[in-house]
Amino acid sequence: MTKASVIVPAFNSARTVADTLRSLQVQSFRDFEVVVVNDGSTDGTAAAVAPFLTDPRIRMVEQPNRGLAGARNTGILHSAGDYVGFCDADDQWKPGKLDAHVRHLDARPGVGASYSGSVFMDDAGQPMRLKQSPRLRDVDAAHILTRNPVGNGSSVMLRREAIGALSYAPRDKPGRPWVFDETFRQSEDIECWLRLALTTDWSFEGVPGHLTLYRVAGDGLSANVWRQLKSWERMIDKLRPLNPEFFARHEAAARAYQYRYLARRAVSAGDGVTASELMGMALTTSRRPMRHEPLRTLTTYAAAKLLEHTGIKPMGLISGLRLKTRPGNTGT
Amino acid sequence: MRKPVILHLTDDTTPGGVMRVTEFFTRSAALSDIATHKVVRLNRRRWDVDARGADLLVSHMTMNWRNFPSRTRLRAQYPDLPMIHAEHSYTQGFVAQRVFNRNRFFAMLRSGYSLFDHVVAVSRTQRDWMKARNLVSGARLSAIQSAVDLSAFAALPRPQGATRTFGLIGRLESQKGFDIAIRAFRATPGNELKLQVWGEGPQRARLEALAAHDPRISFHGHSDTPARLMSGLDAVLMPSRWEAFGLVACEALAARRKVLVARVDGLNDQVENGATPVRDHSVSAWSNAITRAAQNLDGAPGSGQQNESALKVGSRFEQGWSRLLRRQLAAEASVS
Repeated sequence: MTKASVIVPAFNSARTVADTLRSLQVQSFRDFEVVVVNDGSTDGTAAAVAPFLTDPRIRMVEQPNRGLAGARNTGILHSAGDYVGFCDADDQWKPGKLDAHVRHLDARPGVGASYSGSVFMDDAGQPMRLKQSPRLRDVDAAHILTRNPVGNGSSVMLRREAIGALSYAPRDKPGRPWVFDETFRQSEDIECWLRLALTTDWSFEGVPGHLTLYRVAGDGLSANVWRQLKSWERMIDKLRPLNPEFFARHEAAARAYQYRYLARRAVSAGDGVTASELMGMALTTSRRPMRHEPLRTLTTYAAAKLLEHTGIKPMGLISGLRLKTRPGNTGT
Repeated sequence: MRKPVILHLTDDTTPGGVMRVTEFFTRSAALSDIATHKVVRLNRRRWDVDARGADLLVSHMTMNWRNFPSRTRLRAQYPDLPMIHAEHSYTQGFVAQRVFNRNRFFAMLRSGYSLFDHVVAVSRTQRDWMKARNLVSGARLSAIQSAVDLSAFAALPRPQGATRTFGLIGRLESQKGFDIAIRAFRATPGNELKLQVWGEGPQRARLEALAAHDPRISFHGHSDTPARLMSGLDAVLMPSRWEAFGLVACEALAARRKVLVARVDGLNDQVENGATPVRDHSVSAWSNAITRAAQNLDGAPGSGQQNESALKVGSRFEQGWSRLLRRQLAAEASVS
């Protein structure tokens, strides 16, 4: 039996998927399989993957487009490993990543989800100075809701039993269990992590290092920001009844962090008005971001205001400052 | 030969499932053949019992750190007495929602289970969790689904016509998730639909406030005649946040009522018995499920073989416990 599986959901990734697969081929840990799920691509993704299929560890599954959640679910269904990791077809894994997660999950039987920090890379695949340095230990559901230490969809490796505890067969699609909720086209990651934290006793822990190369999307349209907020709200509405007391305690703080995160997205997209509005919402919703992460909260506020009133994009300023902030910060 | 005596320890003072399960031991002919069953009610803090003359002890108690000393002393007092623990309380869902320090909690359970010769999980899902968490070795663990006498439920006529009256049955506490069902019901249109809430508990005022102004929802308090209350229902909703087994589902299925369950813990076993799973705990999912049940989109009520499995829960219980009790009694005899 294969020790580990890596699912690579690929939608129109012809330009980047080869780099992704090469990064997996050179992993120092050898006993693994790769399941590429071609999610109805129309750009020659299959042709880009084809040369890799001579590697006996790499397989490709084709399906009509279902979105990221649907592609990951299909990959899980076709995988056999005790541990299942995910690497989107525009991201990459550093050579020691698989080994680090396998050893972590072997050593810590109570851990269901093992993740790592990430380095951001630009659209051309060049590493940036931006890093994601999540908290690695003492991660509870509240921390996941407010700070999402898992960070992105290419950083995590799940234990098969934890996947089993999450998966369910929707009534109309028996035989194709869902782990990720396919009714979500955004926020499907955090929905899944939070559901794992709130409905099972599997814990989350990180391994040290920035082992994922995460590509920052270039299409920074601020319209996406409101759409993203909507799907986040839907995620909260879905999970709140599960544990109302928990949400009563942490929802406001989570909401403020989410507004701040989206404000930073809006700043990157050059939309100062939206960024400023979101920061206003963040500051009036909860004091927790200001109390726990004052520097980051203030720089985002300043950046939003500066952009709104002068049109100057202050991302260089922010990225310079954020490197000096303490670990525990996530998001862009 | 003298008939062996088995003591059943319970700390449950509410008229809930555990008390009725222990009653089933004393009433079942098959289990009474093996031994005389005596139920002893204890304070949860003090597992003090005079077990002289007993041949076997079955704990239906709830373990916690506070009763660690008294249960350890009990084992020390009767080192040779075979002891079985039936776990009615703890599940994965409980740990997920209620336990902050999980390592400490699992240590409590492991130390507790280690005092017993055998541990019984009350659902297969619970057993799989105990195994996955390595709470007790596989050889000392088995799953025997809980049971009560279902004959009164099986004797009820099957509901006629459309599914109109839904029921919530159990303690009014957050574990049961009745708040989800009430919100969902309020969001479900249909003047002909009714929701009856049966039970008492600390959440009553809150639930009544949630139901306010919806004349289709009524509160009835606790009933001592569960079969009679079942006769007035077409379907039972169980949106529990955690649930070791969920006997109410067996009763409703035996009465050929529709049962909608959350996919947690022992309620997964009830899906095998014929209950319909609801995908998650969201209000929209439960409202959709109620609508589907009312419109019979989920299949005709009580049709097919679905209740066979629920009805057999009693005989499975008798077989499972008979085998286990005989084995433990024989082991004791061979030692002494």
